[in-house]
Amino acid sequence: MKPLLGTFYILGMLVPGGLGYDRSLAQHRQEVVDEIVSPWRSLETYSYNRYHPMEEIYQWMSQIREKYTEVVTQHFLGMTYESRPMYCLKISQPSNNPKKIIWMDCGIHAREWIAPAFCQWFVKEILQNYKDNSRIRRLLKNLDFYVLPVLNIDGYIYTWTTDRLWRKSRSSHNNGTCFGTDLNRNFNASWCSIGASHNCQELTFCGTGPVSEPETKAVSSFIESKKENIVCFLTMHSYGQLILLPYGYTTNKPSNHEELIQVGQKAANALKAKHGTNYRVGSSADILYATSGSSRDWARDIRIPFSYTFELRDNGTYGFVLPEAQIQATCEEAMEAVLSVLDDVYEKYWHSNSAEKAMSTAVVLSLLMSFISLL
Amino acid sequence: MQPLRQPLPASRRGNPLPAAPLLALLLLLALQEAAGAPAGSGGPEDSGWHQDTELPRRLLSQAARVALHFFNFRAGSPSALRMLAEVQESRAWINQKKERKVDLVFTTELYNPEEGNKRLGKCSARVFFRNEKPRPAVNVTCAQLIEKKKRHEKDYQLYKRMKQLQNPVDVVSIPDNHGHIDPSLKPIWDLAFLGSSYVMWEKTTQFLHYYMAQLSRVKQWKTNDDAIDFGYTVLLHEFSTQEIIPCHIHLVWYPGKPLKVKDHCQEPHTPEEASGTEEGSAVAPTELSNF
Repeated sequence: MKPLLGTFYILGMLVPGGLGYDRSLAQHRQEVVDEIVSPWRSLETYSYNRYHPMEEIYQWMSQIREKYTEVVTQHFLGMTYESRPMYCLKISQPSNNPKKIIWMDCGIHAREWIAPAFCQWFVKEILQNYKDNSRIRRLLKNLDFYVLPVLNIDGYIYTWTTDRLWRKSRSSHNNGTCFGTDLNRNFNASWCSIGASHNCQELTFCGTGPVSEPETKAVSSFIESKKENIVCFLTMHSYGQLILLPYGYTTNKPSNHEELIQVGQKAANALKAKHGTNYRVGSSADILYATSGSSRDWARDIRIPFSYTFELRDNGTYGFVLPEAQIQATCEEAMEAVLSVLDDVYEKYWHSNSAEKAMSTAVVLSLLMSFISLL
Repeated sequence: MQPLRQPLPASRRGNPLPAAPLLALLLLLALQEAAGAPAGSGGPEDSGWHQDTELPRRLLSQAARVALHFFNFRAGSPSALRMLAEVQESRAWINQKKERKVDLVFTTELYNPEEGNKRLGKCSARVFFRNEKPRPAVNVTCAQLIEKKKRHEKDYQLYKRMKQLQNPVDVVSIPDNHGHIDPSLKPIWDLAFLGSSYVMWEKTTQFLHYYMAQLSRVKQWKTNDDAIDFGYTVLLHEFSTQEIIPCHIHLVWYPGKPLKVKDHCQEPHTPEEASGTEEGSAVAPTELSNF
């Protein structure tokens, strides 16, 4: 209730007449809210080095949309269990080029605060630099980014109001005696076969069925609807300093396993070059433990070729409660890793053609030159 | 990516460390075991042991971590706590009872490094997991990272700072929810980590391993002999189940003396609660200098 009260309080302060804010009509009221909420915090003073509660993240998304209106749109995915709207940001450079899609989500597990912090950092970096930075400009020529800063909104809010180490969603089960599904065990990928529990009491509770949770449904439907064009699916977690490939539910390897390892290792090297941090790369079943129903495995199974889970800092020293003082370094190095993956994805789908053309043109030219010199 | 069973070239970190003394160490450990074992020629191929080719990679860092928990507890020094840097070499064996023996060489760094000093210290360990049972048997040796005299001095500084703290400590959790630990409270965190190391070792099995998530409810008591006597609740994070386990820990510490720990943990979803007590033995862990 607190976030509702928080928003209500803010609105109440700014509109003395009071404004009935019905959360279930949130999507329709969004424009009204934008007009009335004159930034009590402006984007210029938004600190990417601090953790932000959900109300502030909602605000931030609106402000991003306002400021970067030429490339950013906000998309509604669905409602959470506690009836909060799920929005993702689409970053797209308008053009006639055919586009492929990169998906990134953060905060599927509530207590992993560094993940939503990274999603915000990522958006900020892309938007602040896409005009001047040739690397990012190139990516945006043919790639659209969809970023979901907080997937498990109800759980995230719960970690702010009640229990900092909460992991699951806040769905109610067993007649209100037990709460929360592990959303990363709820996807339709060998659902609940291994590394997950049918018992609501446990932290890896897989839900009452595959995609039983509204949050999972929202993300699944959205991704399904665009899956032909999605080339890369990134899901951000903490902690452990790992870049994980499919699968978790089996030790069998996907058909592009070698490629995924190469791209992942290159990303880990780029990450390490930034601040010296070591991230290990491997399939989830190999270096972590068996899990089923994960979003990353599901994404790979619906043929999204590059599907990774990132486990961000640290290695257990602070774990979930990573100090704010480490946000910047963690995000900077992770940014290098993600950009490295995106570069490889871009090369695979667009650069190779032009490279071949350049090569053959060069060959023809040099042959011509040598022919002419012989005359 | 590290291959499982092949040792990495010694110059990996640009800091050539001699492989021969390490192999000698491992051999020494193996021989010690052979001396104690009724059958077998020192090679783990006997007594039903055979090389474990399917060792899951996670078990390597798990084994290294539990060896470190044990090392930290035995060293009894909150200012010289170590954390895992990297596992470098490993060999593993398994027997019919599904018990596992893991030999490891790994690097460690100081939990509280001195300004700019990020030296790595090598450790070698043998960890023996008795199937699903906790309290794995650990034999661990580490190269010295802090000079003994300096370590004692730092421990004493920490002790003095603990003594000066207000009681009861007026704080909800350490670190706070944003990961911040007030510098005045850092000694509490370090000492709690020391005590929790014992508990984490005590509970580790092949399948369960722990990290310290957060502290709450700190309380200090006066003692006659001026030792630090304090109690706290630590939230342990168990990795494979993802559970948060609250443990009430009571520890008594005086610099240079072995640590005394009593713990009482709440197991999730079971009515029974597990508890343990330990007094650190007088045997200090072997340290090698000039490594």
